[in-house]
Amino acid sequence: MTETLVFGDLLDGARAFPRRVALSLGTNHLRLTPAEGDAVAWPLSALRSPPDQAHPTDLVLALADDPVTRLVIRDRDLAARIRAAAPTLHKRPPLQNTRKLIAWSVAAVASVALIIFVLVPVMANQLATFLPPSGEKALGDTTFEQIRTALDDGGFDPVPICENPEGLAALAKMEARLTASVDLPYPLTVHVLDHEMINAFALPGGYVVLFDGLLDIAEDPDEIAAVFAHEVGHVVARDPSRMALRSAGSIGVLGLLFGDFAGGAVVLFLAERLIQASYSQEAEMNADIFASDTLEKAGVSPLGLARMFERFEALSGDQPSLLDHFMAHPDLVSRIERAEASGSDADYTPSLTADEWQALKTICD
Amino acid sequence: MSDALGTEFVGRKGPYFWLSLKTGVLTILTLGFYRFWMKTRLRRYMWSAIRPGGHPMEYLGTPLEKLLGFLVAVVFLAFYIGIVNLILMFASFSLFAGNGAAYGLSFIGILPIIFFAQYRARRYILARTRWRGIRFGLEPGAWGYAWRAALHWLATIASVGILLPRQVFYLEKYRADRTFFGTERLHQGGRWQMLFPAMKHLIIAVFLIAGSVLAGQYGDETAFVSLPLGIAWLGYGAIYFRVESLRLLTNHKTLGDIRLQATPRAGRVMKIYGVGYLIVYTVVGAGFFALFIVIFAGVMAMIGSATQLDETFDIEMIEALSNTPFWLTTILTIMLYFTIFLMWNVLSQVFVGLPLAAHYAQTFSVLEPRHLTDVSQRPRDEFAEAEGFAEALDVGAAI
Repeated sequence: MTETLVFGDLLDGARAFPRRVALSLGTNHLRLTPAEGDAVAWPLSALRSPPDQAHPTDLVLALADDPVTRLVIRDRDLAARIRAAAPTLHKRPPLQNTRKLIAWSVAAVASVALIIFVLVPVMANQLATFLPPSGEKALGDTTFEQIRTALDDGGFDPVPICENPEGLAALAKMEARLTASVDLPYPLTVHVLDHEMINAFALPGGYVVLFDGLLDIAEDPDEIAAVFAHEVGHVVARDPSRMALRSAGSIGVLGLLFGDFAGGAVVLFLAERLIQASYSQEAEMNADIFASDTLEKAGVSPLGLARMFERFEALSGDQPSLLDHFMAHPDLVSRIERAEASGSDADYTPSLTADEWQALKTICD
Repeated sequence: MSDALGTEFVGRKGPYFWLSLKTGVLTILTLGFYRFWMKTRLRRYMWSAIRPGGHPMEYLGTPLEKLLGFLVAVVFLAFYIGIVNLILMFASFSLFAGNGAAYGLSFIGILPIIFFAQYRARRYILARTRWRGIRFGLEPGAWGYAWRAALHWLATIASVGILLPRQVFYLEKYRADRTFFGTERLHQGGRWQMLFPAMKHLIIAVFLIAGSVLAGQYGDETAFVSLPLGIAWLGYGAIYFRVESLRLLTNHKTLGDIRLQATPRAGRVMKIYGVGYLIVYTVVGAGFFALFIVIFAGVMAMIGSATQLDETFDIEMIEALSNTPFWLTTILTIMLYFTIFLMWNVLSQVFVGLPLAAHYAQTFSVLEPRHLTDVSQRPRDEFAEAEGFAEALDVGAAI
């Protein structure tokens, strides 16, 4: 043997006692000779080294099929030669538990899906009907303030509520006319927000919120009346409360899944998506049917509904779901068609006078 | 063999920085799924850097078992968290007309599970740690730990903090007395009252703050100086308590005839935190500043090139800039957020985590190590669930 003898610490994995062994590197084997007892030869092809070691030169060796035995080599020269000679030092151990891993992955995805898409919605639907009006109002108050703050781009001031008195009077008139025939669980709270977004939404506890942007693009008061009636439909069906309870259940679960890899950013992002998420197709359709009925009863032309949808579609492709279910519902379409076919506005009166309409459009000025 | 086995620490900032940067980037690119690999690799590095008696610790946990444990935890916790949160939110709004109660209750409801998860995580980490080829281990007992921890917390809160040493001592004793190195059981000796002196800076700080508030009420202007001093003192007091209680508890631990010794210094730990976070904030702040300069220069260059082309600069150009597609600005914002988050994490690992580990390691020694020869191997604790619960709940599974 031509190699010079150096020493290493052999840890046999049976006792917490390192044994000094003399080491010599051959062509195919690393030979370990203890002070007493027989020498052993470790085949170079079976040598493994644990990855991500902190020490820059020391070498820790293991054997491929032995989980506990370790050899610590501090001699730089020998460590370097072993690194050069051992072909599979950094080979990874074969994967274990692959089946178990797949089974639990499927189970995890399935249970999260079950929770978010079945259990939580079903429970939210049930519980929403038991929520007392005062509770719903509190939920709405909280959410309304959150949304006002979230909508403000730069600062921390909530988006202002528009309070031009003539505009408010016009809004109150529209509200009174549309809700005369409706059995509301609680009085409505109607606000216009000074924001250019073309949208409207309902919140738990009877909140109906219109954006100034919507008033700007609408060409006649019946279009606004149609949107208003649609949102009242959500209020009557208690859709916003269901939605709020749903997101309370779902957000925690989603946060769980993604962990803290981005300090909760994803959780916040998803929370916002959920808040903005649309109601189910069915809920939207029911709100539309409700709107068209209510408009009819109030003597307002339901054509406003159709025009508003056309306008949404023209503005952006962003409201296809609204349009889709609207078009997909033959009953609703035929009703609008009937209104259109009758051609005469004789049965209907505009929801607001020209002056009131002007006042409403300038409510934020 | 000498009568004390010191500990060397061979971790270095350079390699550790690259390792945590590399694994951090991969974690972000994989929407967080690489974190199991990241944690494993960082732990392997850190463990191998700590070398009592010159022999490196070895971390043998695998990423896949962590992933598996996480999935198991998700299956159970998804039901618990989803349904419980929903019901609490409902109850809170029906009974209290507000959501504060729901958040409070949902936190209290999850507390025992957090303690449970912390114990399980410790069991997993010890089961995957070896030194001199011998495994550590922790006996099962997570539920016992969870209710004890909950009661100790209640007692500490009810006694306005006076019983904090009792809580710290008995919870550590519960864990330590169930900890094994090979066949040898660790024992926590001493009494809980021995931790009272470690509270001294906390108590000084509390009196200083209370005195300042009182003086402020009577219009005494010294309160403007003494109140910030009191708050800073509170920070030092917290660190002092942690370091001192760790030192005292370690010095009263025995492993058969082997004794442990720790001599960490609160002043040194304070300095590591201070200097470390100063560096972290400076670097992240400088990064921010550089980014601002680049954006500013970019906008200026655009305006400059436009004027060279003899176009007049008008409001339309500003509009053109602000009309950058929404998805583009969103992606840029998200990338910026992740970059800052990543750098903050990596730098605090390197400039705070690593020096702290070095200090605690270098001030730790094993007394009468000749008795180590009595220690033999313990069987492997399979523990398929790994630290899944702690991982899912974000507690105690940090590296």
